[in-house]
Amino acid sequence: MSASSLTSILIWLPIGGALLIWLLPLSRHTSGALALLFSFAEVGFWTEQVARFDFSQPGLQMSERANWFGDLGVSYHVGVYGFSVWLVGLTVVGMAACTGYGFWVGRDRARAYFGLMLLLTGATVGVFESQDLLLFYAFFEAMLIPLYILIGVWGGARRMEATVKFVIYTMAGSLLMLAAIVVYGLQAGTFDLVDGPTSASRWLFLGFMVAFVIKAPLFPFHGWLPDAYREAPPEVAAVLSGVVAKAGLYGMLRIAIPKFPDATSFYRTAVLALAAAALVYGSLLAFRSADFRGVVAYSSLAQSGLIALGLFAGRDLGFDGAVLQMVAHGLISVSLFLIAGAVERRTTTGEFRLLGGLAKGRPALATLLMTVGIISLAVPGSANFAGEFLILAGVFQRAWWWAVIGAAAIVLAAMYMLRLISAVLHEARGSTVSDAALDLRPAELSLIVPLVGVLLALSLWPAGISHHSFFGPSPAATVRSQFK
Amino acid sequence: MTAMTYGAWLCLLAPLSATILITLCGTSIPRVAAAWIATTSCFVAFGGAVWAFFGVRSQPTGVSHGVGRGELTTAWTWLQSGHFKVGLELLVDPLSTMMMLIVAGVGGLIVLYSIGYMDGDDEERRYFAYMAFFVFSMLLLVEGGNLLMLLIGWGLVGLSSYLLIGFWHERPSAVAAAKKAFVMNAFGDATMALAFFILIAHTNSLSFGVLNTHLSSTATNLVALGLLGGAVAKSAQIPLQTWLPDAMEGPTPVSALIHAATMVTAGVYLIARTHVIFEQARTIELIAAGAGALTLLVAGLIALVQVDIKRVIAYSTMSQIGYMFVGVGVGAYSNGMFHLMTHAFFKALLFMTAGLAIHALAGEQDIRNMRGLGKVMPYTKWCFLAGALALVGIPPFSGFFSKDPIIASAAALGTWYGWIFWVCGIAGAFLTGLYTFRLWFLVFPGEPSPFVREHYHDHHGREGALTMLAPVGILALLATFAGWIQYSPFWTPITNWLSPVAPTLAAAVPSDSQEYFTSAVTVLVGLAGIAVAWAIYSERRLAVPAAPFWRRLLENKFYFDALYDRIFYGPAVAISDGLRREFEEPVVLQTGTDLGDATLETGGLVRRLQTGIVRTYVLLLAAGAAAVVLAFLIAR
Amino acid sequence: MLGPGVAWYVAVAAFLFGIGALGVLIRRNTLVVLLSLELMLNAGNLALIALSRHWHNGAGQIFALGVMAVAASEVCVGLGLVVALNRRRLSLDVDTLSELRG
Repeated sequence: MSASSLTSILIWLPIGGALLIWLLPLSRHTSGALALLFSFAEVGFWTEQVARFDFSQPGLQMSERANWFGDLGVSYHVGVYGFSVWLVGLTVVGMAACTGYGFWVGRDRARAYFGLMLLLTGATVGVFESQDLLLFYAFFEAMLIPLYILIGVWGGARRMEATVKFVIYTMAGSLLMLAAIVVYGLQAGTFDLVDGPTSASRWLFLGFMVAFVIKAPLFPFHGWLPDAYREAPPEVAAVLSGVVAKAGLYGMLRIAIPKFPDATSFYRTAVLALAAAALVYGSLLAFRSADFRGVVAYSSLAQSGLIALGLFAGRDLGFDGAVLQMVAHGLISVSLFLIAGAVERRTTTGEFRLLGGLAKGRPALATLLMTVGIISLAVPGSANFAGEFLILAGVFQRAWWWAVIGAAAIVLAAMYMLRLISAVLHEARGSTVSDAALDLRPAELSLIVPLVGVLLALSLWPAGISHHSFFGPSPAATVRSQFK
Repeated sequence: MTAMTYGAWLCLLAPLSATILITLCGTSIPRVAAAWIATTSCFVAFGGAVWAFFGVRSQPTGVSHGVGRGELTTAWTWLQSGHFKVGLELLVDPLSTMMMLIVAGVGGLIVLYSIGYMDGDDEERRYFAYMAFFVFSMLLLVEGGNLLMLLIGWGLVGLSSYLLIGFWHERPSAVAAAKKAFVMNAFGDATMALAFFILIAHTNSLSFGVLNTHLSSTATNLVALGLLGGAVAKSAQIPLQTWLPDAMEGPTPVSALIHAATMVTAGVYLIARTHVIFEQARTIELIAAGAGALTLLVAGLIALVQVDIKRVIAYSTMSQIGYMFVGVGVGAYSNGMFHLMTHAFFKALLFMTAGLAIHALAGEQDIRNMRGLGKVMPYTKWCFLAGALALVGIPPFSGFFSKDPIIASAAALGTWYGWIFWVCGIAGAFLTGLYTFRLWFLVFPGEPSPFVREHYHDHHGREGALTMLAPVGILALLATFAGWIQYSPFWTPITNWLSPVAPTLAAAVPSDSQEYFTSAVTVLVGLAGIAVAWAIYSERRLAVPAAPFWRRLLENKFYFDALYDRIFYGPAVAISDGLRREFEEPVVLQTGTDLGDATLETGGLVRRLQTGIVRTYVLLLAAGAAAVVLAFLIAR
Repeated sequence: MLGPGVAWYVAVAAFLFGIGALGVLIRRNTLVVLLSLELMLNAGNLALIALSRHWHNGAGQIFALGVMAVAASEVCVGLGLVVALNRRRLSLDVDTLSELRG
């Protein structure tokens, strides 16, 4: 097996798995086990990909290219850069944990469910690996289909409202992006991301950015977010905020910034302002949210803003910090939603006024929620701290006030995360918390502990990602040269 | 790597491994085993610190590799981006070894004390894991070989402080206090991070060496101000002092270790460590001294009206750290550090004797119920007295040797603010004598009160477990004699030891006559304080002046809490709720709903075309085809 | 070239198409509607073949073959539907079959 076939395998293996599960008349248990097997195989293949990736080489690696519509300059072109490797890793690890959670919970209509989870895995990996704009668009939209069904069928009581909002928002964004892609491709004569030239058009930049800003999301395009994160099943909310939302930020890094340098500098202040607004606004709303998922949802909004700050700072530290933060926040978000799911299963609710006192007698739950919570509030020394520190140091070099806003938001982050921790774990026992509510079961531990383990490992060595995302001594220069 | 770096790593990693071990073992080891693992690890860390100390001592004095006497050791590159690179570095030099010895030594004694104090608590294992984690974090803070490592240690001690203040997490007051402490410290962390961003923007590095770089005076002042923000938050100085008294919600050994002996004095260490930048930004350094002078008075005044034994000592801690801030602020770094050391001994002692009393009285902390405790607890009484005399600075107890030189250094400046600091220091000495012996006379002498007689219970015929009494005894000896190490101007080993790292500013070296005069005044004033306390609280010859305004002001802690609630917490809540009510729900979320409704409505309009009658469709089809043909004909 | 000019063929095709279209529009019986559809398709075929010969281009004839295949399959489906309707004892009047009304 050649190294470059790993890129395609990572995309098509789960999609093939999805087809297999849909076609074969499997029992609930077998289909879940099969899906889990495919997810683990993905993690295995990804490990192999990291091992074979040469961080000392510039440019695209492990690429595969085949003609698709030759006369339009469209091809099946996939490959990875340093930062895409990390995002693919986040996807396969996060999806494996969430598939495992679905298996453990025992979702009904199992074949449909697990097939969709695998399809989502393949589509998301495809987004992070495709190097052709039409292919990128196809995968970007393909993520939407499984999510739409997963929220609409397995979601909470108000799931239809949430799904419709989510779909309308993201469709509106991606249609504009499609128009921008077509215009860009016809002007450039190719849809290829590696060969394609830069463009000076501001309109095209805006077309792409609308899609990415909605997906990420940034303030004030987050109308879909609170409902979708509340109504989705916990593992789907985990995927949505931890993995899928990163596709929007990845799009900014891979397409909007390098392909449109003029427009990027023209709109820089505007985007930074939106990002800072997302950061502060998200933190403020998270601080008074009445339930577990509300806090995590708005904190995701805040984190998206922070990462966008790093990306649009246009400085070395900002780019590296943004990639690190995407991975760290992805893992945190997945862990937090899975823990939220565990809490909701035990108490039937995520509302703070009905919760409390869960720490007593449940050391594993308390330790894990506490650990994830304090990493998420960026206590110095954590992976999140390293990411935020780099991002803010980067954006400080653009203008000092962005960093001051960011630092203030970090104090707010401490406030909302500690509020979450104490509302769930501490003080008097909540009315829905009974003695019968068990500590985390071994199956849940086996899903969440590895995620936390990865976070702790990243905390020990954040340079593992921050220094292995972009080739060359200056990430900003690498981005300017379109990763060549 | 040399022997001293081995010592430093051993010192750092021993408590960390204890934390990991206790966490992983969980309930499979007995509670007492967890306790002893933590204690042993602290003493192993102390061994490592001693090893490092002798390593540094064997090095010749003088500057080499730009770090003076000492050595930098890097484990691996922790964070790297572009040309910015920060290693996981430890610095072993005179300043860090001095702190290592204090932290690991006092930490070991207090963890040992905790074995008795926490005996029988349900979650003893968690407690000891946290304690070991704190010692690790504090050691990382003092050993960190660059500013980022220092900040990491800084943040982790804040975290362990949060965990330990909120250890009894069923109590809402403990949880609230823990959150308050963490958030105020996070504020300090944020200002420090901003200072670091300035340094990165100018020098692309965070090693201690960059502090020597010449920056513009604005940049220098801002960096120093950012660092001062961190120092003030961590050391509970005005204006970020309000978290410390609330932090007394934690178990008493925690107050002794974190909120008296080590963590809260980290601000002093920070200023001594980064004194180069503060000397370039002399105004900021003097602001630090001013904050210290103000805090030592305010805290001393508030301590006068407290009735909770731990809160009296907590305010006294704030006040004493104020002295240290004056010391390092005027440029007498070694005097500040010396006071840090003796304070660690006598303040830990005071907390631990208070803990003995609280433990023996089944958790009672109100001093109005404790009268006559000395009769039943003589050992506690005499140890407390040693600590109290050291605190007031009565010779030959240790406080005398360390506090007076600080006040003298302020005088040595010779400027108007120098004399203000001096006067504050002297006034503070009076207050110290007054509040300390108010506590003493209210709690120990005389016949036991009914409450004491009813609630006092001994521990197998002793005042407490042996693991509690032994560390108290050791600290009592240290509080009494440790000050003799240095008696400026006669012998100054600590100043000499620290001079390669943080030499005292020439302007802050007092003349001999200033030293004698200040010492004499301070001791006399301290004695006067004791005498007034005796007259009011023991002999009842003087009444407590009834000044309702002042009493209310002091009991409300100068209204700082109310003020911060009013200007920070309240607005944050109001803005957040307001945004949700006025913007998020009606605008952002409603937009989504409106979009959905609009789509549905449009669909409803278009729907009418679908009559279900085939012939309509055919007609429409024909009409459409005709329109297309027409369009083509016209467009031609 | 012998025989009538291409215009006549096209005229006949247009006439047939008109009959078919009118049939689809005004007749209600499903079977007759299907029949009229066939008429329209074959009118198209006639025009295709005539024009193909006129322009000496074989593509039209190939296309006509395609249309025949479509027509055949359409009849299959259409008649299948008629039979299905009949089995369910539903009316064969297309106006009453308006279940898909929006």
